[in-house]
Amino acid sequence: MEKFKEIIRQYPFLGFIIAFFILMAIPSIFFTDLYQSHLSSLIFINIIVAAGLNIVKGYCGQVTVGHVGLYAVGSYTAGCMFMYLGASLWITLPIAILVTGLFGVAFAIPSFRLEGPYLALATLGGGEAIRLFIENGEFFGSTYGISSISQPELFGITFDTPDKYYYISMPIMLIAIYFSFSVLRSSIGRAFMAVREDPISAAASGINVKKHKMLAFILSAMFAGAAGAVYAHLPPGYIHPNNYTVIEMVTFLAMVVFGGLGHIWGGIIGAVIITIVYDLTRPLYEYQLFIFGLTIVLTILFMPKGIGGFIDKYFIDRRFKKKQGVASK
Amino acid sequence: MLLKTKKLMKAFGGLKAINKVDFELPKNEIRGIIGPNGSGKSTFFNLVSGVYDADLGSYIEFDGHDITNEPPHKVGELGLARTFQLLRLYQDMSVINNVMSGYHTLVPYKFIDAVVGRKKIWDQEKVIKEEMMELLSFVGLADYAEMNASELSGGQRRLLVLARAIAGKPKLLMLDEPAAGLSPVNVDNLMKILMRLKEKYGLTLIIIEHILKVVMDTCSKVTVLDHGEKIAEGTPSQIKDDNAVIEAYLGKKMDDEEMRKALAV
Repeated sequence: MEKFKEIIRQYPFLGFIIAFFILMAIPSIFFTDLYQSHLSSLIFINIIVAAGLNIVKGYCGQVTVGHVGLYAVGSYTAGCMFMYLGASLWITLPIAILVTGLFGVAFAIPSFRLEGPYLALATLGGGEAIRLFIENGEFFGSTYGISSISQPELFGITFDTPDKYYYISMPIMLIAIYFSFSVLRSSIGRAFMAVREDPISAAASGINVKKHKMLAFILSAMFAGAAGAVYAHLPPGYIHPNNYTVIEMVTFLAMVVFGGLGHIWGGIIGAVIITIVYDLTRPLYEYQLFIFGLTIVLTILFMPKGIGGFIDKYFIDRRFKKKQGVASK
Repeated sequence: MLLKTKKLMKAFGGLKAINKVDFELPKNEIRGIIGPNGSGKSTFFNLVSGVYDADLGSYIEFDGHDITNEPPHKVGELGLARTFQLLRLYQDMSVINNVMSGYHTLVPYKFIDAVVGRKKIWDQEKVIKEEMMELLSFVGLADYAEMNASELSGGQRRLLVLARAIAGKPKLLMLDEPAAGLSPVNVDNLMKILMRLKEKYGLTLIIIEHILKVVMDTCSKVTVLDHGEKIAEGTPSQIKDDNAVIEAYLGKKMDDEEMRKALAV
């Protein structure tokens, strides 16, 4: 087991290839209807957003509530490129990532001067402004939304049903997680944490605080953009401004908080659980916001480091006991 | 000269926190800065390290570079490290990560390598970690490497802050009250570590300290500040006998007549 861990650590790609094959096999073994594939795709999309949000909020400590706006930018870049140019996912995805990255810059600028709740308000305004701009713009299909966005083709197969689209969203999610891990486990991730913990002493260690805040916002915006584009092309390919409201933002936040702020797996665990709960509670639509709000409050009160922190604590305790056991022998 | 300030000035409103201080520090010296509370010692540190902008007409030079009003991270990159009176530890990070983030400016790989996650950086990270573990064992914290910094005791935190500051291999290390709140045994331990540091890394040190024993025993020269002005500079024994210093900081013995007067009032 130790040796296996060491190999994974040396060749981080290997773990993702194993995960890829496992996830490839899952639909044919477990899934009984199309809806399960659809839900899995939604989970993957939410994982991408949550992994990005974990960079800026969990690691860099910048409270942003406007992430859903960036997600909308990604979706609508893809949607509009399809509507006006007929572009497929393979073209819209990289361009959506780039465009959303640029919007990330706009969200980063207030973070130079604002902190905590004030930054949250500023970014909330930014996110809502984007949604209202889309809702009132003829160019973006206004309140009709954009419909029948095409599904991508590869090797002569059109991925136009939920069970096929699973094989598009899953690898993109794995690549996103891979990028988030490699960034967060490097010196950049450490610098993000240092900025979160104490910007003044981070600067004294030679860490450029503004540059790293900017970097965190741009990176996480790119994740949101990628997720948005994948969501836009998700069959049946329909996007509407109402999919990008504060409610969605609260769910994204709930994912990161519940999974564990600043834990490398935090966003991912949270995204899986919250997406499933979100789906199960669909009949209780009026209470959903209440449920997620309550989840955030209770998690912060009783489990401030989320599930990730809980798991970490278990492993640390176990290692500690092992050490003690060795010492007593 | 490693560090040089000319006519260094900083006013907060009408209060001149630092007033025309000329300061020169050659390499390989341990310099002490003493003075009563509010005499401008920490302001001096903040000005040099770039946390505050100095007033017009000031000039600060470090290792041949003009660093007047440079942002703190630029000053840090040039090799000037400092600690803070209030520690400013990264509470919610492990001890080893605290130290490794101090190494930030020396990390050999580039941003793009990190994003792509090449194997090269994992090897380099391993080397950095080993080096930092060595540093931790040097200050005696190696056993606590995986613990959260917030779980350390007060004395250990002071050592961790010290380790984080030297992680970046600075040329000049400025310590703001490194021994505050330490027990006598720990103060001795700290002094030993400081002396060994100087030998091992060829550091130049500036120490602000109220525990005079530390200043008198470790520093080769002492600068005394009072009301933002430099009132004396010299070897510890010279400072001890300087009248201005005694008046402003050390305090003098009262004879019986004076004592009676003081008590009567």
